[in-house]
Parts: sequence; C-alpha cells; structure tokens
Amino acid sequence: MQFSILTDYFGTYMEGFRGTILSSLLALAGSFLLGTLIAVFRISTARGLRWFGTGYVEFIRNIPLLLVVYIFYYGPSAFGLSLDGFTAGTIGLTVYTSAFIAEAIRAGIAAVPKGQTEAARSSGLTYVQAMIHVVLPQAIKLVIPPLGNQFINLIKNSSVLTIVAGLDLMYFADIVNSDTFRTFDTYVFVALFYLVLTLPLSYVMRVWERRLQR
Amino acid sequence: MIDFHKVEKHYGHFHVLKSIDLHVDEGEVVVVVGPSGSGKSTMLRCINRLETITSGGLTVNGVAVNDKKTDINKVRRDIGMVFQHFNLYPHKKVIDNITLAPVKVLGVSKTEAEKTAMYYLEKVGIADKAQAYPSQLSGGQQQRVAIARGLAMKPKIMLFDEPTSALDPEMVGEVLDVMRTLAKEGMTMVVVTHEMGFAREVADRVIFMDQGQIVEEAAPEQFFASPREERTRTFLSRVLSH
Repeated sequence: MQFSILTDYFGTYMEGFRGTILSSLLALAGSFLLGTLIAVFRISTARGLRWFGTGYVEFIRNIPLLLVVYIFYYGPSAFGLSLDGFTAGTIGLTVYTSAFIAEAIRAGIAAVPKGQTEAARSSGLTYVQAMIHVVLPQAIKLVIPPLGNQFINLIKNSSVLTIVAGLDLMYFADIVNSDTFRTFDTYVFVALFYLVLTLPLSYVMRVWERRLQR
Repeated sequence: MIDFHKVEKHYGHFHVLKSIDLHVDEGEVVVVVGPSGSGKSTMLRCINRLETITSGGLTVNGVAVNDKKTDINKVRRDIGMVFQHFNLYPHKKVIDNITLAPVKVLGVSKTEAEKTAMYYLEKVGIADKAQAYPSQLSGGQQQRVAIARGLAMKPKIMLFDEPTSALDPEMVGEVLDVMRTLAKEGMTMVVVTHEMGFAREVADRVIFMDQGQIVEEAAPEQFFASPREERTRTFLSRVLSH
C-alpha cells in the first residue's frame, strides 16, 4: 500500500469528491421531489396521470442506470443540443432514483389511514392540500428506511458519471491511476472516500428511524 | 338545509341506500339510529360527498352536492365532520390540527386562526392541551379536539359519525356533554350514534334505519315510547334491554 498516492494526489481526489458530493446532493433533492410527484400521480384518480406515473416507473426502473444516463447524454444531440457529462449524469441519476423513491413513497401513502384524507377533505382542503399537509408528511415518515437505502444507492450509483466524463470521484481516480499505475491502491482510496459519505448517512438514517419509533 | 330526495346508492350489487327522503331544518338536531350495516354512516357521508350517490337528489343549503359543476370544497367549508376514530393528524400539535383548514381553506391569518382555535378548545374544555400531540391525549380528549377542529371552520352544519363508539365508557360522557351544549346553542346537527340516552334527550327528531331504508322517523318521546313499526320495536327492545 502506497499512502503517498493519497497525499500526492489529494487535490485530484478532492476535486472528484466534490463532484460526487454535488451530483449526489442535487440528485438526492431532485429525485425526492420528482419521486414524490410521480408517487402522487400513480395513486391519482385522474387516469391520464396514473398511466403516466405507472409508465414512468416501469420504464425507468426496468432499464439499466447507464442507459438512463446515456439518454440524457446522447439524447439531446438529436435535437441539436448538448449536455455536459456532469449535467447529463446528474439528471440521469435523478430520474433513475426517482422511480424507486416513487415506489417507496407510494407504499407509504397507501399505509396512511384513509380517515386522514377524509378528515382533511371534509374540512374543505383540496386534494393537493390534503396531500401536502396531511398525507405526505405521514407517508414519508413511514418510508424512511427504504428511502435511506435509495439515498445510499444513489451516492454509489453516482460513479456512473465517470463513463460520460462527469468529473466525479471515479473520473478523477482514473486520472490518478493512469498517472501512477498503482491501480489497486488508487481505488482503495476511492472506496474510502465513498465510505466517508455513505457510512454517516446510514448512521443518520438509523438514528432518525429509531427516534420515530419512540 | 339538508334535503335528500329519493336518494339511491349501490356498491356494485349491494343496495346500500334505498329511496332515502330526509329533510333537516336549520337548527335541528337529527339523530340516526339503527343496526350496524343499515346504511346510517353511508347516508351521513353522502351529505359532504365522502360517498357519492347513485341517483336521486341531495342538496345542502340549496346546492346540489353531486352536481359536477358544484365546487365540493366550498360546500364542505360549511359542514364540519366528526369521525368515529377522531382522525386527528398525528404529526401536528392539537392547535395546528385546528388551524390547518381555517388558514388553508378560508385564508384566515395564523394568529387569527390560533385565537379561534383557543376559543373552541376552551369551549370543549381542553385549552391546556393546545401544544400536545394527539397521541398524548385520551380518546375522549381527542374527540373533543376533533369537535373543536370542526367548529373552528364556523360551519353551518355538524355531522357526527358514531362519535362515541371508539371511546372507553368513562369518556363517552365528556364528548356527549360537548355535543349537548352545541345542540342547545342551535347548531344544525346530524348524529349517527348508538347512544339512545343522547337521542332521547337531545334529538329534535330520531331516524331509524334498517337495511338501507328509513323505517321510522319521529320525535324522541314518541319514538321511544310508542314506535309505530315492528322493526323499530324489535331494535329498541334489543338495545334498551341492557
């Protein structure tokens, strides 16, 4: 093990680490909002929205992540546009994760007693207001453990950015590797960087879950 | 104020409501009794369209509840509802349970809504629990909060769907007391209940339902002393014998 790689290339690693953090945070917030919206579509009484939600989830979660990222990386060029690797990768990651989050939140919504919606609606709240103020806050509480899993997956999945030159941790690790030819050592340090992100997240999720059980 | 005209409701092949004709006047307290599954709750829930009707006419304050053009949220503002299982929002404090609808639906300011909420909490006798969460309250207290929540919208009508059925016996009284006061103040109320004592004492009119029909409708003295229908007599002999 050559620890000098870590110290010599610390700046390079950190640049990738920042990219991974930024992409993960954006995709985390984005997929949470998008997933919640899709979950609400899936249980909507409006048939069009329901079909759209179901189609979205079934299409996205049944194709590989890499393919979703390619759609956003190569797709726009068909319309004369172009997205850089970081943007396309982050959007792809957001869209992909949102399908799984939608399923988790849908299960949470289904687990909120029907009386809650009835109480809210009978007081004159609209469907959307009842969702936002009454149902969703309770639904999300119920699905924190599966959401935690999705968020951890998201951070690890962000490594897909490297394939579209997305300036993430893996991308910069490849640079370190081609400089040093110490492949194993280089990537062991990458694993450490990922663990620095994911282990605290697992811990926070566990604490949060325990607190809600009380 | 509330008008059912030949209302029918089917759940698939199940005929839940059969030609319901019912009229409730302003300030009237109508108590609906009958065996489980007789359609009492369903009828009540039609009034604010938690249940839709299959055919017939149903108007509240002159507005056709089931008309597609009717803005149901507007109709519901004027109808408070209290449920068997309270249905308080567990993630919100008592005070926030009560202010949610006035703020979001009526557009009242938060301070104003809190003032109103405290007034009604005072009225139902649990102002000291304003900052508590529903899970910290007893069933009777929760149901009183639910009543305060309904009243905070200053509705013209209050609907009660078996408000004491999920309560421990010693808590039934406190909820009925609140309802009694409300009735005395002239609130228009439709109450589905198994509390015969309440019906006898507070109702202006008692409705007996069985198998989706209104079987009998009478003033409480007459209803309990000399019911006309055989089915009513059978029902009363069963519920009053113990």
